[in-house]
Amino acid sequence: MRILSLALRRLAASLPTLLLILVGLFLLLQLAPGDTVDALMAQMGGGDPAQMEQLRSFYGLDAPVLVQLARYLWRLVRLDLGFSAIYGKPVSSVILERLPVTLLLMGISLCFAFAAGMALGVLAARRANKWPDALISTLGLIFYATPSFWFGMMGIVVFAIKLSWLPAGGFEEIGTGATGLARVADIAWHLVLPVSTLALIFLATYLRIMRASMLEVLSLDFVRTARAKGLSQTGVLLRHVLRNALLPGLTLIGLQAGTMLGGSVVVESVFNLPGLGRLAYESVVQRDLNTLLGIVFVSALLVISVNFVVDLLYAKLDPRIVADR
Amino acid sequence: MSLLRRYLRSPAAVGGLVLLLLVVGMAFSAGWVFPRDPLSLAGRPLQWPGASPRFWLGTDNTGRDIAAQVFHGARVSLLIGIVATAISIGIGIVVGALAGFYGGWVDTVLMRVAEAFQTLPNFILLLVLVAVFGSDIQTVTVAIGIVSWPPSARLTRAEFLSLRSREFVQACRVLGMRDARIIFREILPNALPPVIVYASVIMATAILLESALAFLNLSDPNVASWGNLIGAGKNVLRVQWYVSAIPGVAILLTVLAVSLVGQGLNDALNPRLRSR
Amino acid sequence: MFMTRRQALLSSAGVMLAGLLPALPAAAQAPAATPRKGGVLTIHLGSEQRILNPALRASTGVYVITSKIIEGLVDLGTSGRPEPVLATSWEASEDGKTVTFKLRDGVKWHDGKPFTSADVQYSAMEQWKVHLNYGTTLQLYLEAVDTPDPLTAVFRYSRPMPLNLLLRALCDLGYIVPKHVFAGSNVLENPANTAPIGTGPFKFVEYQRGQYVIAERNPDYWREGFPYLDRIVWRFITDRAAATAALETGAVQISAYNGLPLADLDRLRTDPRFEVSTRGVEANVFNNTLEFNTRRKELADVRVRRAIVHAIDVPFFLENFLYGLGKPATGPIPSLSPEFFPNNPVPYPFDKAKAEALLDEAGFRRGAGGVRFTLRMVPIQNGEDVPLLATFVQQSLQQVGIRVEIVQLDIAGALTAVYRDWNFDLATGWHQYRGDPAVSTTVWYRSGSPKGAPWTNQYGWQSDTVDQLIDRAATELDPARRKALYAEFVKAVNEEIPVAMLTERPFYTATSNKVQNHHTTPRWDSGDCHDTWLAP
Repeated sequence: MRILSLALRRLAASLPTLLLILVGLFLLLQLAPGDTVDALMAQMGGGDPAQMEQLRSFYGLDAPVLVQLARYLWRLVRLDLGFSAIYGKPVSSVILERLPVTLLLMGISLCFAFAAGMALGVLAARRANKWPDALISTLGLIFYATPSFWFGMMGIVVFAIKLSWLPAGGFEEIGTGATGLARVADIAWHLVLPVSTLALIFLATYLRIMRASMLEVLSLDFVRTARAKGLSQTGVLLRHVLRNALLPGLTLIGLQAGTMLGGSVVVESVFNLPGLGRLAYESVVQRDLNTLLGIVFVSALLVISVNFVVDLLYAKLDPRIVADR
Repeated sequence: MSLLRRYLRSPAAVGGLVLLLLVVGMAFSAGWVFPRDPLSLAGRPLQWPGASPRFWLGTDNTGRDIAAQVFHGARVSLLIGIVATAISIGIGIVVGALAGFYGGWVDTVLMRVAEAFQTLPNFILLLVLVAVFGSDIQTVTVAIGIVSWPPSARLTRAEFLSLRSREFVQACRVLGMRDARIIFREILPNALPPVIVYASVIMATAILLESALAFLNLSDPNVASWGNLIGAGKNVLRVQWYVSAIPGVAILLTVLAVSLVGQGLNDALNPRLRSR
Repeated sequence: MFMTRRQALLSSAGVMLAGLLPALPAAAQAPAATPRKGGVLTIHLGSEQRILNPALRASTGVYVITSKIIEGLVDLGTSGRPEPVLATSWEASEDGKTVTFKLRDGVKWHDGKPFTSADVQYSAMEQWKVHLNYGTTLQLYLEAVDTPDPLTAVFRYSRPMPLNLLLRALCDLGYIVPKHVFAGSNVLENPANTAPIGTGPFKFVEYQRGQYVIAERNPDYWREGFPYLDRIVWRFITDRAAATAALETGAVQISAYNGLPLADLDRLRTDPRFEVSTRGVEANVFNNTLEFNTRRKELADVRVRRAIVHAIDVPFFLENFLYGLGKPATGPIPSLSPEFFPNNPVPYPFDKAKAEALLDEAGFRRGAGGVRFTLRMVPIQNGEDVPLLATFVQQSLQQVGIRVEIVQLDIAGALTAVYRDWNFDLATGWHQYRGDPAVSTTVWYRSGSPKGAPWTNQYGWQSDTVDQLIDRAATELDPARRKALYAEFVKAVNEEIPVAMLTERPFYTATSNKVQNHHTTPRWDSGDCHDTWLAP
């Protein structure tokens, strides 16, 4: 119950930010050349002005900007994300269709990046300033410096085209009707390349953070005390150091949740995954305001919740910190 | 000078510096080594690197010299990186300074705005800005600067929060100095170092963001950027994969260099952390 | 043990025999092979049109899916001419103002209700005439559709309607939707737009946005014994390189309308597993265009426009950038349209010297840095070849002293910039020819289109002669006289060249050789696949 009230309070505190984002984006998009009917015309390969007028009034685009904004906000208050012009469906169902893919992609990438980054960071810290450290740190930086879409493309060339080990894209094989474990395996196989691509960049950051905070904590008093008490290296590591070194990593997760969604735009493009990132890009190009604002709304909620969870975990891991600040 | 010596003690930092100088060298010498417009038709399209003595790195699918585009692209990437970083830090410093110095409702409002920018995925905001304001190189650079300012603002604000209660600031107040003078002449120079070091991170991100935009065909096609080349190579990826591979390596090395230099600077400026 | 061994041997022999068949492609392709019932055909689509109603949206992206589910009055058959589908015969009155269609008996909608002339009346009056792009222009003078009995529909026009124009256009713009599903509802919001109900060989099953559409065999299809296939799956793969990979791994069997990158089409041409050709797509031709904004003082002079076209080496572009997949155009009517092609030569072939001379003559001499003047070009990104041509034009014009700046906009922005805001000097995109010049070609030249209508004359150019030729040809009933009028039209517009048609390109389809009896009609990919089957 306490968690619930904390969550609600956090949400309430974030409302002004949410409003700022949505209104700002709405007004910004009004300045974009062309509207959703123009994009529709482009898709159809032609149209006539009468049809365009009709479509404009159908989508409510002929009303003045402030009226449209007011209508949008009024719908939002009732948690109605509106109707997608391009998809011909309510925005909420469009988003719900694409959300699982993105959540899966981001979730697995985050876990993989966190786990691998931490493991490598620990390894590097234990052999600090010797060659394994230099190797791992440089490797980490190289991953950070690699453009994700380029890495994805090269991955496709090597693993899908030349070696044929992995599929070149897509979320799963269609029309086979696989269910249960077979389907899970199929999806997993399809996600290997995209997850590696998305995770690689963040892996480097976690690696560095882990290494730095490990080094810092390893030299603190209570560690030396534990060692003096006769605890083994590994024991010390697991029991005390890890717990404290996890904290900056956790903070970073919160900060990077938003960046990851941006990164997924490109990764979903390269690997043709039906996720929110690609949907966001499409809705900018097609000027589908409702869908874009809906995605931004959902992603903002996601970032806020991730930050909230991180704060809770932080409090659990470091009893010196109280959860609601 | 001791800073330089501290910097040079790390092999990684030295390596990064050398790499960066190489890239800068490419950028400077582009005009002499490849005097012709890199975007002009140079020869038959899709020749492999080394196939013709005229084209060390081959030609792309519009018949342009890839080596020329790599050299001229260095200029573009570095320029975009530097200008976008400058814009981003400029905005960040001003916002952070005002928020940190005045506190109260100024701080609340400005930090809410920063939070808004950080909650919104920055690449999506970039897409919207480019769709609205166009894809020419100036707009893209400014847009990248605009989506990257919050971290430097927070850094600056943190520094200001800790510095503003120090004695020298109170002394200035007693002397009757105007706020603006206190902010920009007295506190800011002390608050800058962490921001400057963070600049390398912003620069790396700026280069990567521009290349991602170019890959999606949303950057300036009149400019020989590495991202444009990768995007062009998308369509011939299966056979002539070198068209995309080569500029990708260039981006990788440049961002690596910038990051290594930044890390070296960070370590050199904070010897306490470095020594372990 | 012995028995099982023998059984095992027999069954493995059977497997071997079955396995032999794909290894003999010649045998599989032999026309005498009997069609095999069953199988799932997977078709690739590069973009998602989202509204699966061809009576509302005229676009190949819609037809590829819906023409297997919904049928029209006529369709192009193996003869290359409109043949009966839901209409069994037709005749026009002397004055050309009345066209009577006799409809097929015994046809049922997928929901069981009978198909009648009321459906034709509804589709024509409420959808084609009111909402369908290009249909509104085609049926502009349609006054009413009478239904004297359930199997007769009479189209009454206030101006003469040439029968060959109507029939050819109805192949694309004549799909019939059920009245009982749409009547009385808000047409644009009707759920049948994404769950289509038709009379075709396949019934709609599922539409998973961003991923696929599935349809399965219609057991009550009016053509006895058809279709052969069990199911058709359409997969949306927007990244073209991924589409090629899907085709090569067998995940899809057909990719139509240049759905694959040109480089891959070129490479797969010699791959024995696939057929890459223009066979079966002859009805769809397009041009790469170069549009001039004649409001610009330099471009208002026809000599400058001619010079610009002279400066572009189109054959070089086709050979080196487009893998030779096309030929230079001679005007807005392509050579693949024998009923109307005037057989004229290329109006302004590549001639750099002539270009320079014309520009000097027009008074625009080279100034500082060898530049005469600067132009802004907006590419309208219909396909991967548009940026290639934009770059090539930029490079070519640089050679004759014209600096070109390319303005990169996404497609909505580009359409607005060119056709609404007139904020361009040059534009390049696609012009699609749809079987008859009156459908979507003459509108590029006729004056009077309102601001904002894409792919129409927004160049600030106008010619009364051309307007009159267009109007007369649209209502001329005699096919020979029509052809002559269009020949004059082509001559006139080539003289003035407000928009230059640079290349003439057919669409290429890549089909797996497992697919049998394919591409037998000129618009096969937009056809109904009722007689397509798959080799094992």
